[in-house]
Amino acid sequence: MSEQIAFWMLSAIAVLGALVAVRKRNLIHGVFALMIFFAALSVLFLLLLAEFIAAVQILVYIGAVGILLLFAIMLTERVTGDDDRRMTSRGWFWGFAVAAAVFVILLLPVIQQLPSPEAAQTIDPSVKELGHKLMNPYVVTLEVLALLLTAALIGAVTAAQGVRMPKEEDSQE
Amino acid sequence: MSPTTLALIPLLPLLAAALTCGLQNGRRAAALAITAMLGSCGLALAAFNQAWGMGQGEHTTFNITWLEVGDTAIPLGFVLDPLNGAMLAMVTFIGLLIFIYSAGYMKDDRRMARFFCYLSLFAAGMLGLVLANSLLLLFMCWEIVGLASYLLISFWFHKPEAAAAGKKAFIVTRIGDLGFLIGILLAFKTTGTLTLYDGGQGLLETLPTGMVWGMQASGLISLLLFMGAIGKSGQLPLHVWLPDAMEGPTPVSALIHAATMVAAGVFLVARAIPLFDAGGTLPVVAWTGAITALVAAFIALGQYDLKRILAYSTVSQLGLMMVGLGVAGVSVGMFHLLTHAFFKALLFLGAGSIIHGCHEEQDIRKMGGLAKPMPVTTIAYLCGTLALVAFPFTSGFFSKDEILAGAWATNQPVFWIAAAASLLTALYMTRQCLYVFPGAHRGEHIPHESPRIMTVPLVILAVFALGLGGLAKGSVLAKLPGETAHHTTVVLAVSVAVALGGIALGWLIYRGRALGQAADPLAVTPLVRKLWFDELYAATVGRLWALAVVIAEQLNELLLFVRDLTVTLADRIGTGFAVGGDRKLIDTLAFDGMCNRLRSAGHAVTRPQNGFLPGYLRLIALGAVALGLLVALMK
Amino acid sequence: MTLHHYLILAAVLFCVGLMGAFTRRNAIVVLFSVEIMLNAANLNFIAFWRYSENPALLHGPLFTLFAIAVAAAEVAVGLALVIAVYRHFKTVDLEAMDTLREE
Repeated sequence: MSEQIAFWMLSAIAVLGALVAVRKRNLIHGVFALMIFFAALSVLFLLLLAEFIAAVQILVYIGAVGILLLFAIMLTERVTGDDDRRMTSRGWFWGFAVAAAVFVILLLPVIQQLPSPEAAQTIDPSVKELGHKLMNPYVVTLEVLALLLTAALIGAVTAAQGVRMPKEEDSQE
Repeated sequence: MSPTTLALIPLLPLLAAALTCGLQNGRRAAALAITAMLGSCGLALAAFNQAWGMGQGEHTTFNITWLEVGDTAIPLGFVLDPLNGAMLAMVTFIGLLIFIYSAGYMKDDRRMARFFCYLSLFAAGMLGLVLANSLLLLFMCWEIVGLASYLLISFWFHKPEAAAAGKKAFIVTRIGDLGFLIGILLAFKTTGTLTLYDGGQGLLETLPTGMVWGMQASGLISLLLFMGAIGKSGQLPLHVWLPDAMEGPTPVSALIHAATMVAAGVFLVARAIPLFDAGGTLPVVAWTGAITALVAAFIALGQYDLKRILAYSTVSQLGLMMVGLGVAGVSVGMFHLLTHAFFKALLFLGAGSIIHGCHEEQDIRKMGGLAKPMPVTTIAYLCGTLALVAFPFTSGFFSKDEILAGAWATNQPVFWIAAAASLLTALYMTRQCLYVFPGAHRGEHIPHESPRIMTVPLVILAVFALGLGGLAKGSVLAKLPGETAHHTTVVLAVSVAVALGGIALGWLIYRGRALGQAADPLAVTPLVRKLWFDELYAATVGRLWALAVVIAEQLNELLLFVRDLTVTLADRIGTGFAVGGDRKLIDTLAFDGMCNRLRSAGHAVTRPQNGFLPGYLRLIALGAVALGLLVALMK
Repeated sequence: MTLHHYLILAAVLFCVGLMGAFTRRNAIVVLFSVEIMLNAANLNFIAFWRYSENPALLHGPLFTLFAIAVAAAEVAVGLALVIAVYRHFKTVDLEAMDTLREE
């Protein structure tokens, strides 16, 4: 019973958080709503007994991604976004319609009454076991990911640094 | 020969291409490329040695699975048999000589390193093509070779003609490639495999059966493959790119547009000849080749550009190879391919040496009197000429004789066309030599002999051009499949008569004329204008293209009209409702809004590429929705 | 709680993200939306794993872990691109970035 109450409350918080994040004019407020969404999702992961993922979710998303987004906002737009320009893009109605269509498509399996299995009762996803898996069968994947993150780091730095104009180089010479 | 060593043959030049693309120093790049080619040549000769030990029809294959989709595995791999063993040895050997020659020819070019990068890439593609044991791998290498050819033709891209010639070559061959690609897909559809030899399961071993689009499957597939060969080997009607390709540096003309790449089409037909056999399409090959041989030889009579004459001669000789394949099978066609590669590479390199010595002059009217200042080049060039005109007991004589004999035995009209083409060959080569070598020099600069690095390959090639035919004839005809016809006296007589007759005719026409000043009796307008092929294409294909543009515009107009009509209709209905009903609600909320939606939808239909980023996103999602619906409905 | 509950929740979250990406004109908000969609997908992975026949294999958490790592890389690169674009166009408005349009 308590599980059900928790699920419904967390679902409501997650959906609301997501909605506020994408509909808020003030981007700073939007990021905070997004963080609430991330947190709600993290607790949902706990509810599904994936505690390590829940911890990673808080560390990576709230700790890193959220802060990164805040910085990006402060580096670019006027923070509060309290101008009177349109918030939505042209033809937003069609965007909305397509999103709704995707929703219907996603619900098709449920509508078609696919079986909904019950959860296994005993389950022990210990972090130790996860570590073993990462180090043994998935070690190549892990290394590739490390490589990808390094590449992304370098790429992000180069892209954000901007291109030095040839003119400047000429003047330096 | 292990699979690794075999794979190294194309991989060594590829490695050289990768390494030289970053180099600035031309000499270092040349050294690297030549070393790689030398290694490749050594391996290829070893492979040739092994392949020549096999019996007719034997082969060894190495296949690895490249891709698995569901239950279908697509293997790629190499095959080694006498056919491509000979081809390997020829390509690497001539390639090596031309690489060495290029080091001298290009030494003053600022982009010499880049030139060797492209050349190595070409060699890698060509060797991969020759070794491929799968139509797919063959096609990939075919395209690499096409790309390298494009890059090399327009190597001097600052010349507008060179840039245009590169584009023309790429686009015209692409027309043939389209047929080739469709052929590959069709072969995969009918047989489920693209591997050529696969222990009894390969495409050439099982042969597609059944009917496709009302035609026999193997016949249709072979015709489509032949379309690719027509594009690559410059057969009528897609020959127009090859003469223009002479805008590239001369070693390129020699390597790509005389000896190797253009022979890839002939090689493809030879490789896939079981398909042609089963489909009964060999007469098409023979006839296309014969007509090409005759028409190209005619056009060559009216040209003044030294390299263009040779280019048309190449087109004509490629036609003869097709005739050989068509009338007598692999051995005869391939024999001519091999001998032609040597003497035509020799002629082109000789032409390069002449052009170099005359300070980049290509017009034969401004040459003359080159025999004295350039003795080595002259003698080598004359050797190549003799081989090309099939002077008795040169290598060209033996191979052309086989083709004529085969044609006499199976297809007499083709025989007479090929004989006429041979007569014209002797005539235009005599004309060219009389223009270039004897008499007094007509150019502004004083000609000089080329450096040793350029003349040594010439001498080596000259030896092969004279001797190869007689030496290799017996073993080539024995090792490669195909039936050699009995040589009747008629064939022998005609063959000797056209060669000597052509030379004599040329001598009679041009003897004692003031060449270069007076009008040329053979350069009549239709021949100078290349029988108006370019103009014909400009008038037909170009017009067609313009027509397509007009049609597209009209369609666009129609769509716009439909959009306006819908909007107007919706507007009318809206007004009708508004008069009768709740004006405020319907007007402001439903119909005006609806009309705007419709208008923007119409806009989206007519101009999807509007640079509006969220629009692109929505279209992608719409695609996902369609896919989801499809999956849901298929269940 | 059955699997369907979680799947529908994930679908709702995904479509909220989709809606954000399709209707907002601020590039940063579009990045928010992409994050929401990725999280919804992760929820699906975990839910499917929890209700699978053999959870001991840990496929769900492992895949989610990798997805999170890739998403982190994506955010870093994405924001760097946004900043580069901002430097070029002086705005992060998606409607202003229409240099691809044929004139």
